Amino acid sequence: MSQHQLTVVISQAQGRNPSKRRLEEDIAAALIGEPGISVTLVPHLYDMAPNHSGMQLLREVPGPLLVMGWLYERAIRWTLDRAGVRGHEGVTLLKAAEDVEDDEDSDEDTEEQRAAGGIGSLEVPDRSVWCLDLRVSESAGEFVNEIRRVRDELHTDEGSTTDLMSWIQGTPSAAQLQRYLQPERLLEARRAFDSGTATLDDKALLPEDTGRRWYPVIDYSRCTNCMECIDFCLFGVYGVDALDRILVEQQDSCKKGCPACSRVCPANAIIFPHHKTAAIAGAEGEVSGLKIDLTKLFGGDEGESAIEMAVRERDRELLLDGREAVGMSVGIRQKHRDEMDQLLADLDALQF
Amino acid sequence: MTEPLSFMMGQYQALFPVDRQYSRRHLWLQSAGADRWRVGFTAYSVRLLQDVYFLEWSIDEGTRVRDRQEIGEIESAKAVSSMFPPGAGTVIRFNPALLNDPSGINADPYGTGWLYEFAPDEDLLSAAEYLEYLRSAWEDAQRTIKGQMNEG
Repeated sequence: MSQHQLTVVISQAQGRNPSKRRLEEDIAAALIGEPGISVTLVPHLYDMAPNHSGMQLLREVPGPLLVMGWLYERAIRWTLDRAGVRGHEGVTLLKAAEDVEDDEDSDEDTEEQRAAGGIGSLEVPDRSVWCLDLRVSESAGEFVNEIRRVRDELHTDEGSTTDLMSWIQGTPSAAQLQRYLQPERLLEARRAFDSGTATLDDKALLPEDTGRRWYPVIDYSRCTNCMECIDFCLFGVYGVDALDRILVEQQDSCKKGCPACSRVCPANAIIFPHHKTAAIAGAEGEVSGLKIDLTKLFGGDEGESAIEMAVRERDRELLLDGREAVGMSVGIRQKHRDEMDQLLADLDALQF
Repeated sequence: MTEPLSFMMGQYQALFPVDRQYSRRHLWLQSAGADRWRVGFTAYSVRLLQDVYFLEWSIDEGTRVRDRQEIGEIESAKAVSSMFPPGAGTVIRFNPALLNDPSGINADPYGTGWLYEFAPDEDLLSAAEYLEYLRSAWEDAQRTIKGQMNEG
């Protein structure tokens, strides 16, 4: 019966913001029982540790997968990638109004986006993964329509014959993952929990608690494996894999709030999904990914360059750790920028 | 004399009405009663920012501020910046129309897109003086922006 199942996973907001909860719930409720779709909810994607049952579930999903959460699409995609949840990049059409124009020309080379010069992802299975930012609309209907569109696309060119439910039953961690197969019960338990009336059964059903985490996420469609981040970070966050590819090895060694490595990355490939600057949080790039900082022109202090800012942020974390500040003396490479021409072209587009 | 003054930013002609005063922070000020001036971004600022989609104040209404004190943040499609007052003075109240939707800054920068009301401690520039400052600062501004592009 269930040909071409699309698994939809809603990564929940941090905290219990009622309007976010409502949007999640409205989307889930609309999709429960929808033909060709299995829907479930997991805790906030970025906050789940690799061994969290929600992450295990994501890894077990056999076929086409759509993940929605309160993050930029790039942040969702590459957080999943680091957790081993991969697939070809599915194109979503629901965007924040101001992104629409940009995306029209980028649709061409979405697949792995190696055209951008990054080293790309590894071991990408033959299925698609769609990511949706829940912040682009307040209308559950818009999300549901987009998800239906994706499902209908599957009927023509892609599909798995097993659905999430039958797949999970056969896996070794089935007991752990059982809870995700009952989205109605999950929603009920969540409502009970929020109103303080959760029973022991409700509590047993809810996934393990997650604390707020902070760590870099590498966008391998941009990353050139230049190793500036591993040279710069003095907290042991980065490592390399067996193929000498850069890797965020020790996520939890990262210093909360510090985005310094992302500032030194020449390819703008390092995402901190919860940083206040959109370009660092994983927004699609403007002006080659960086926004112009006009602070100096509008009366601020002599503007700091990105490197100066990164050095200051790193020194602060070193001092907090009881270590010595190192300033510019460690891990700053002489900048050699191939993309100089591109940047100037972008600037000319501003018609100065 | 009612014709606005004009300054060419590359291909773009920025206009500066002469019915108000200016500050080097690229803001205009127009009297709105005793000791009360409306403050807004000049065409120069708006051209650099382009479409504004985020505006946040970090101080309360009625706060006395120093020159170069950061009072908020602004983000647009192309740029981010901290915001600064025209000089030392008191920020009396913010334009309530912008609090939920800052797009008024682009729609009507010299009118309904005003930012806040302000009581300045210091003297202000005339449109002509501001233009003179723009001419002297323009090379520097372009260098600042291009310099950032090099350093990432």
